[in-house]
Amino acid sequence: MRYQPVIGLEIHCELLTGSKVFCSCRNEFGGGANTRVCPRCSGMPGTLPLLNRNAVRLAAKAGFATNCTVNKYSAFDRKNYFYPDLPKAYQITQFESPICTDGYIDVIGGKRIRINRIHIEEDAGKLVHDDYEGISMADYNRCGVPLIEIVTEPDFRSAEEVQDFVQKIAQSLRYAGVCDGRMEQGSLRVDVNISIMPYGSEEFGTRAEIKNLNSVKSIGRAIEYEISRQSEILDKGGRVVQETRRYNENHDDTKAMRSKEEAHDYRYFPEPDIPPVLFSDDEIEQIRNEMPEMPAERYRRYTEEYGLSGEDARLMTAQKEFSDFYDSAAASAPEYRLISNLMLGEISHLINETGTDISNVKFTPEAVAKTAKMTASGTISKGSAKEIIDILFEEGGDPEKIAGERGFIMSNDASEMEAVIDKVLSDNAELVEQYRSGSEKLFGYIMGLVMRACGKGANPAIIKQKLSEKL
Amino acid sequence: MKISGIRKRLDSREIGAVELTKEYLDRIDRYDGKINSYITVCRDEAVAMAERAQKLIDSGNASALTGIPLSVKDNICTNGIKTTCASRMLKDFVPVYDAYAVEKLKNEGFVMLGKTNMDEFAMGGSSQTSYFGGVKNPYNTECVPGGSSGGAAASVAAGMCAAALGSDTGGSVRQPSAFCGVTGLKPTYGAVSRWGLIAFASSFDQIGVCALSAEDAGYVFDAICGRDENDATSSARAKGGSTELIGKDISNITVGIPREFIEDASDEVKEAVQKAAEFYRQTGCNVKECSLPSLEYAVSAYYLISSAEAASNLSRFDGIKYGHRSGLGEDYNALIKSSRSEGFGTEVKRRIMLGNYALCSGYYDAYYNKARRIRAQIRNEYRAIFDSCDVILTPTAPTPAYRIGAQEDDPVKMYLADVCTVTANIAGLPSVSTVCGYSGGLPVGMSITGRPFDEKTILAVCDRFERDFERKECCL
Repeated sequence: MRYQPVIGLEIHCELLTGSKVFCSCRNEFGGGANTRVCPRCSGMPGTLPLLNRNAVRLAAKAGFATNCTVNKYSAFDRKNYFYPDLPKAYQITQFESPICTDGYIDVIGGKRIRINRIHIEEDAGKLVHDDYEGISMADYNRCGVPLIEIVTEPDFRSAEEVQDFVQKIAQSLRYAGVCDGRMEQGSLRVDVNISIMPYGSEEFGTRAEIKNLNSVKSIGRAIEYEISRQSEILDKGGRVVQETRRYNENHDDTKAMRSKEEAHDYRYFPEPDIPPVLFSDDEIEQIRNEMPEMPAERYRRYTEEYGLSGEDARLMTAQKEFSDFYDSAAASAPEYRLISNLMLGEISHLINETGTDISNVKFTPEAVAKTAKMTASGTISKGSAKEIIDILFEEGGDPEKIAGERGFIMSNDASEMEAVIDKVLSDNAELVEQYRSGSEKLFGYIMGLVMRACGKGANPAIIKQKLSEKL
Repeated sequence: MKISGIRKRLDSREIGAVELTKEYLDRIDRYDGKINSYITVCRDEAVAMAERAQKLIDSGNASALTGIPLSVKDNICTNGIKTTCASRMLKDFVPVYDAYAVEKLKNEGFVMLGKTNMDEFAMGGSSQTSYFGGVKNPYNTECVPGGSSGGAAASVAAGMCAAALGSDTGGSVRQPSAFCGVTGLKPTYGAVSRWGLIAFASSFDQIGVCALSAEDAGYVFDAICGRDENDATSSARAKGGSTELIGKDISNITVGIPREFIEDASDEVKEAVQKAAEFYRQTGCNVKECSLPSLEYAVSAYYLISSAEAASNLSRFDGIKYGHRSGLGEDYNALIKSSRSEGFGTEVKRRIMLGNYALCSGYYDAYYNKARRIRAQIRNEYRAIFDSCDVILTPTAPTPAYRIGAQEDDPVKMYLADVCTVTANIAGLPSVSTVCGYSGGLPVGMSITGRPFDEKTILAVCDRFERDFERKECCL
């Protein structure tokens, strides 16, 4: 039997703050074990947490980026459990009153996925197991790294919707400067809650929670695996058990970690060391005003105002830095489509080929704009524009100067061109004869010969016209 | 000798700071074997601090507490000096930071004589649950000194320091001060930073002062209060100046006597507090009856919330990072179980059990949430009282000090004895206890409680009584 999957997500995102959420240790990835630890984040007796206001602002921005309400009152709670990577034996989180609530993101097919809440919490450390020595060691570098957890409603009905959502969330958070969204580094971690039910049913089945998903691809595969696993159980008349399962990339399956019975009672209660977070209307407005344009809005602008195709607009907005570069170029010359073609064509090609990114190229957005402008005015040909981009990519420089010095400026001197055409035609009398006797396809070939003989600066339009006349 | 007297002796060069410190250290050597008020005596550090203080005095840079020898309760972190919370769990714990209060005192050039004994993790009212042995009452060594700051109060009463830093979560400065016949100030919640105070119940904990007088308590309070950015719950409203009103006319003050506090007190306590009320009436104060109807729920609410917070605060002591680690236990769960079983004493375990029980998902509403509502209710009732009263006068404890061992087997009875003090913590109010009589040679205490951040009024009202009351010294 085929079943309808019902899926909800919990997404943990590391915030791009300079320091940790309750102390001044640097918030970074990697480095030697326990090199970013202080009495506060290691939970030494007598220390107290000190809330990082920037983490609060970024969490609010995550709310704006996902159409949430940013609450004027939110508060912290303690989630109590013992684990060696959690030095205080409790995690400071927001349970009763999260900072953001009631948002949404639209995914493929125009479907709206509701976001229940976004709350702030601290990350735990990491355990390093040495199987050879038979010991476990604790690294507290990650303790106190600021996180937000985004919790969706169980609105997803397919793996594709989930994958699209995760990509859009990561993209929006990167745009808002909230999180770098790197799943492979664990800065964005997705837990999938999935159950299945017969098509047409309204009653959700028992769910399993899948952890350890570190790519969008893994998410898709884990969901497909879970659907088939749970379907098999139901087909055999069995019951799905509520449990947490771990996805294994190498085996492409999920294995049970702990059942509901083994689940902790977290004994939440209000965190007495941190006063509630209060925002005035003005403060909320101020944070909203700091929000950059979100990808959905940019997409609309590119398609409606700049005349880009839907596909081009999608590609252009995928990465904020790339899109910012385009916007800067577009601001200095309104050749929207020409610039877009250069960026999505030659520039993207070079970037992908060399493994660099747009923030490291040797040329400015203005240089690309100038190149596009010269193309539009007929100063250079489209082919030359590409070649100029290649030169800019290799050496940098000013496209006007390059065009002038290296002979890209199109010549409009018809008499000079006519002389070249005459020479080519006389050198290839046989071809001309064939053309004139009906082989019209040869026009392109002859045109090519003329172009080559004229050099980069010749205006193809004029050549075409003169060549037609002469033939 | 009171701080103002010592100040004069030091400033007039009648005595040097080092000599003075040595006098106190000698007294500790001579008498503390009997009392056990100190866990750690810092002889060398104290002399070095006194030498620095003398330089300040000699260069004319002395402030109120320069060269004044004080003791610090052993749950207040001191950089480089063991801070044990009187527990096996932390018996060798040496902090790498000073508590904010200690740092402020160091800036004043105070002299730290040592770290005082207490109930383990400040849980208790007798100072008998210490891993380092119980503290005895200087007025009668067969009696408890009260707790949990029993060592602090006893060290002041026995002249083994000029004043002491204690901590008060449900009465832990005021009740031992009453039992040991000294003055004990619990400031408004947020007036003194909790940075470096090893947490018991974070929403109640407040560093306080045991001293020989309200004025002395004020001097120490002024030095340690104020907004500290390391404690988000500390307040900029605490600005010092708490001795401003001392010696001023207090006849415009309205003193409320909430009837519920007197009802369950013993006869000798009732009598002494009523006499004090009469004193204020004769001084010209408006003394009137008032009411705190929810008092009967206060102890339950206090123990539910404070134990819940304690259970969480003490979870970090698992033998993994520091502290006592058991030799038993094959895996993580077994290791923390045996470390915690061995490291904590009975009373601490009882509170951890109680607190975790109250927070369990099935009981949360019935216990923790109900206690929160009572807390809000008590705050409201206090607000109403302070609409028409400036301070309230209550007993500090229902009885004077009792015999060591008398209440060991009945924790609930001991909890109930906190009824007079816990509401000030529940509502975060400042409260000061002073001696208002003696019964069978043991001091009887009364407390004056005021509006938030109005330490100066309660200290002035307290001081007015102390001026006309003759204290008996303890005989060691």
